[in-house]
Amino acid sequence: MGEKKDYVRGFWAEGTPFIWFSGIAAVVLVLMVVGLVSLILANGMSQFWPASVAKVSLKNGSYLLGSVSDREKTSERDRILLRIANRDVNGLDFKWVESSAITKVEYPESVSVLERDEYGPMYGFINSLAEGESSVASSSPEFQNVLREKLRTVREKTASAKKLQATIDSEKKEVTAVEVRLRRLDEGEKANDPETLLEKAGLEKRRGVLLENLGTKLADEEKELERLKAEVEAPRLDVTLSDGSVAKVKLRKVLAVFNPNAMWFGAKFVHYMGNMASFITDWPRESNTEGGVYPAIFGTVMMVFIMVLICTPLGVLAALYMHEYARQGFLLSAIRLAVNNLAGVPSIVYGIFGLGFFVYMLGGGIDRLFFADKLPEPTYGTGGILWASLTLALLTVPVVVVSTMEGLSAVPRANRDGALALGSSKFQMIWNVVLPNAAPGILTGVILAVSRAAGEVAPLMITGVVKLVSAVPVDAVWPYVHMDRKFMHLGFHIYDVGFQSPNVEAAKPMVYTTAALLLLIVVALNALAILLRNKLRKKYMGSAL
Amino acid sequence: MSRMEQAIDELEGTAVIARNVNFYYGIVQALFGVSLEIKPKQITAFIGPSGCGKSTLLRCFNRMNEVLLGTRLEGDILVHGTDVYREGTRLETLRKRVGMVFQKSNPFPMTIYDNIAFGPRMRGIKDKSTLGEVVERSLKQADLWHEVKDRLNNHAQGLSGGQQQRLCIARTLANEPEIILMDEPASALDPISTSKIEETIQELRNLYTIVIVTHNLQQAARCSDHTAFFYMGRLVEMGATSRIFQNPAQKRTEDYISGKFG
Ligand SMILES: Nc1ncnc2c1ncn2[C@@H]1O[C@H](COP(=O)(O)OP(=O)(O)OP(=O)(O)O)[C@@H](O)[C@H]1O
Ligand SMILES: [Mg+2]
Repeated sequence: MGEKKDYVRGFWAEGTPFIWFSGIAAVVLVLMVVGLVSLILANGMSQFWPASVAKVSLKNGSYLLGSVSDREKTSERDRILLRIANRDVNGLDFKWVESSAITKVEYPESVSVLERDEYGPMYGFINSLAEGESSVASSSPEFQNVLREKLRTVREKTASAKKLQATIDSEKKEVTAVEVRLRRLDEGEKANDPETLLEKAGLEKRRGVLLENLGTKLADEEKELERLKAEVEAPRLDVTLSDGSVAKVKLRKVLAVFNPNAMWFGAKFVHYMGNMASFITDWPRESNTEGGVYPAIFGTVMMVFIMVLICTPLGVLAALYMHEYARQGFLLSAIRLAVNNLAGVPSIVYGIFGLGFFVYMLGGGIDRLFFADKLPEPTYGTGGILWASLTLALLTVPVVVVSTMEGLSAVPRANRDGALALGSSKFQMIWNVVLPNAAPGILTGVILAVSRAAGEVAPLMITGVVKLVSAVPVDAVWPYVHMDRKFMHLGFHIYDVGFQSPNVEAAKPMVYTTAALLLLIVVALNALAILLRNKLRKKYMGSAL
Repeated sequence: MSRMEQAIDELEGTAVIARNVNFYYGIVQALFGVSLEIKPKQITAFIGPSGCGKSTLLRCFNRMNEVLLGTRLEGDILVHGTDVYREGTRLETLRKRVGMVFQKSNPFPMTIYDNIAFGPRMRGIKDKSTLGEVVERSLKQADLWHEVKDRLNNHAQGLSGGQQQRLCIARTLANEPEIILMDEPASALDPISTSKIEETIQELRNLYTIVIVTHNLQQAARCSDHTAFFYMGRLVEMGATSRIFQNPAQKRTEDYISGKFG
């Protein structure tokens, strides 16, 4: 009896149940994280795998081509979801098929998948590669080589046509400027003033001279461009679709052709890796539901870097002042509390502040001062990567301040006194002893700030993120870094593709993939900061500790 | 030599003169009218029961008390004739002249070399060879050179407690101070490290003015030339160490030395 009581008392006194509960809490947490991450990864990574395309024969004699993407099997019904692609023909990418209506399912090796720059992929049987009168049948032995060669030349010619177009544009630039000015004058209120007429005459003369100088060169180039365009347009693939019709697909619009059912595992894997790579390096197509997310990656990473460059010095200096210089007292405690609470302000509020203060006030002011000639067209007076980064910096600066202050108070009194006793000034002490000591703490703050910033979407939507851009904020055009440009962001991309796209079912894998990528980027950025922190720790704490 | 000049000479010849020093931590008074003189190039020991104000007085000499808010000093403290509490005194210069070694060793989280070179660097010395000489000289003076000469670029935290304390002494020596204040420099160390520190202090005798606070009466008797005994914020008596220990003038001193309280 007494023994049992002792046992029970020991059980509680040693905190066995407490250990159990804390262990369970930890397990639940880990399961949640692992579950979420693996859901995202599994769904996101599978989208690049070249799925086999089934030929599904139906009772009514027709057949469908498609990859099986889902199956619903209950007591009442049994049906499969086929991705039948050919959006331009079918209108929809997906179709439910009752199992009872199916007579046969085969995987013929001759089914081809055409990846196109529009309307998603096309499933069908290729008959021939045609150009004008001549054509090569898909049954002929050299078909694969001819197709590959042709795809390559079309791509090359498209590129050179683009280049040529750019050359012509830049040559015509001055003429265009003159023409724009002329049109302005015509549309202006003082179109008939003598001064205007005089200017017009001068401009027209200038245009004449310019055009004459360009003269035959321009004409030749334009002719060459026409020829290239015609050559690019000509080759096409004739494809028999499941409904029996023959589609003529311009080779220019085809990105890749492959026969998934004929591919062995290795080939599929190579294809898979290629898809993954182009997802990272390509621009989006088809209102973001296809293609890659390169500009979104670029925008996200660049924004985070700018944000770190702004919020770290700001946060560290503010924390230094508050912790080392300001007189401790009621006011400082109040400010400290306010800073702590800033972290709890909803991010959209920061967004609105950013819009009002940065975009309209600062940006508008900059425009009036430096870009007055372009007004009313705004330069900085509209959302852009600089303003978005500044807004996020504002959002994350409390985190940096708080952890820097913690880092500063963790610096041993003895070290400070030691430095002072050696005759260093307060600034020298802070710079040489306190800051290096607090550096790991500061970096912890930066890590937290990066995590918070990379996942934030709401404030960005009103300060500079858009669903599609034509250029990333860094390019070869002077001044190379365009802080005023709008940019794409992975977080917003997820929202846009998942909820704003016309074709949600088809975009679903894309949502997962983008989420996985965002996750990966946050992890990578954090890993970078952690690496740096560990290095600093080692440097300042010594390997002995 | 006029009497005036003689007086000035005497002032400058005395390492530290405290005159009627009252010290307050906020409203708590820690020192009551302390007056004493520290002889140059000799070792002076401060003894007395815990809380009697030894550290406080020591820290008045290099104004380290001022890192705490709300402290106040009345009276004068002259270091080689200059009033260190006069307005316009540069703390950096004062603390370079009056170095300090703390009870608990406090090497900076840097390499051994950087620790020693810290003071000189703060005063703008950048030349590598000069710094190298300073580091070597200071470490030799602090009796540490042979133990660390091969690992100057290792982290200071990798040293033993006793070595760390000698590193702190070396760091202070690198500043070429006139006076070195030591607040129980060996109290946190084992007997062997303690005797090492004592040896080091003996080697510095006649080169520097040293003021050492200690609870270890044997240590005071062994090491010092002069001893000052404090009690409850007051200086009870001060004199040659041998006299204080063999023939104390005050009853309290005798009681303390004979271990009746403390
Ligand atoms: N930071 C402080 N704030 C308030 N009072 C203090 C402070 N430091 C010391 N005192 C008080 O001043 C008095 C003298 O302290 P001090 O540290 O000089 O004593 P000590 O002789 O060095 O003692 P110990 O031998 O224990 O080091 C003590 O009564 C102590 O309580
Ligand atoms: Mg003390």
